[in-house]
Amino acid sequence: MELLRSLAARIGVAVFVTLLFVLAVGLPANVQAGPPQLEEPKGGGECIRPEGWMRRNHMDFLKHQRGLTVREGIRVRSESLAKCAECHTSHTRFCDRCHNYVGVAPDCFECHLFPE
Amino acid sequence: MTMDRRSVLGLGGVLAAGLVLAPGMRLVAAPENVTEASDKRRWGMLIDTTHCDAACTACTQACRTENNVSIVGDPQRDIHWIRKVDLHDKDGRKPDRSLPVLCNHCEHPPCVHVCPTEASFIRKDGIVLVDMHRCIGCRYCMIACPYKARSLVYSKPKVPPDANTRVPIRAKGVVEKCTFCVHRIDDGGEPACVEACRKDGGGSMLFGDINDPNSEISKRIREVSTTTIRADLGLKPRVHYQGI
Ligand code: HEC
Ligand code: HEC
Ligand code: HEC
Repeated sequence: MELLRSLAARIGVAVFVTLLFVLAVGLPANVQAGPPQLEEPKGGGECIRPEGWMRRNHMDFLKHQRGLTVREGIRVRSESLAKCAECHTSHTRFCDRCHNYVGVAPDCFECHLFPE
Repeated sequence: MTMDRRSVLGLGGVLAAGLVLAPGMRLVAAPENVTEASDKRRWGMLIDTTHCDAACTACTQACRTENNVSIVGDPQRDIHWIRKVDLHDKDGRKPDRSLPVLCNHCEHPPCVHVCPTEASFIRKDGIVLVDMHRCIGCRYCMIACPYKARSLVYSKPKVPPDANTRVPIRAKGVVEKCTFCVHRIDDGGEPACVEACRKDGGGSMLFGDINDPNSEISKRIREVSTTTIRADLGLKPRVHYQGI
């Protein structure tokens, strides 16, 4: 009986330690590290829309703009995707950092030549 | 009022400059911030094959550099927006000809007709385009096109070291083709092939608005005998040829 109980306790401890280990290794690094550190925009100007609006709406904005430009032939040069790159000079250190954190993976940069 | 000789000459110069530029084209370095394609226009091309040399590749080279069309290597999977074709009359009655073949931007494009996702479409100014954001790579359009103008991107494209950042590359799995250099047209310019042909080739390509009766291209199409490839199909291509 005594032997059985101590065996059970040992197995319990072993399972607990393994679980801890799996949790520590398995969780993506960014979940532990807090909010993503984004690269400061270059040039010191303001974004093409207020920052908070942009944070919430840039995905819809970009897709709306894309439809206008490609399908309707309306080019707004000051608001094109290429224009973003004049201030946000890296997609890996700006767009992607945020997207990795929230778990979205837009494929835009497979085609659009945005600075790394 | 009398004009002295110099001011008359000056006026002539201004008029001549106005004539050299095809109507509808502006010589502006920096385009306005907002521009819109006009449904009044129909962009077209006239290729004079009598001045097209078989050995010349100025147009095809310029297209590859302008639009980041890299060479795949495998001829079966080659991507081309414009290619040179040699014509030889078996009976020897017509002279051999060499000519560039590109998307004909048909008035009734079969590629657009068969596209299941509406990725291929006709822009207001008549340019036939592929919306890369909608293309699923099914290749119906490639089968429908009688001009072999379209290519599928079979493998992850190489980014040329001196890539033109104005034109996005295309990802694996979409169909691509000539856009008449839509980004240049919207900036008031002309396609890269036409520019290269004038500078480094035979000057045999003319681009302009065929809806405007006073444009250089409209006048030439009225004055000389031109034809389109496979006119019998009734697709009304907007790439016209002279001398075939
Ligand atoms: C003139 C420079 C400039 C241009 C052009 C520009 N931005 Fe910004 N953007 C900024 C600045 C400055 C901020 C504020 C960032 C800060 O204070 O941390 C910002 C913030 C943002 C944010 C919010 C970031 C955060 O910290 O929450 C997003 C998203 C964004 N921009 C996307 C875009 C997109 C997409 C484009 C192109 C359509 C674009 N920006 C064009 C300068 C610019
Ligand atoms: C402040 C964080 C943040 C920054 C910085 C940011 N994004 Fe986003 N982005 C998001 C979030 C969050 C979503 C997902 C929204 C949703 O799915 O509801 C998103 C979604 C998108 C989408 C739509 C993806 C889809 O699958 O529909 C695009 C496109 C996009 N972002 C482009 C960009 C570009 C380009 C930049 C850099 C110029 C950028 N984003 C910078 C937070 C950010
Ligand atoms: C398969 C390649 C491909 C992918 C993937 C792609 N694009 Fe594009 N995109 C293009 C091409 C080609 C054009 C046409 C460029 C032109 O006419 O100037 C374009 C044009 C645009 C334009 C208008 C031109 C400009 O610079 O503003 C916007 C905006 C745009 N895309 C946004 C996006 C966004 C956002 C994504 C990701 C969700 C995306 N694209 C993914 C190929 C692609």
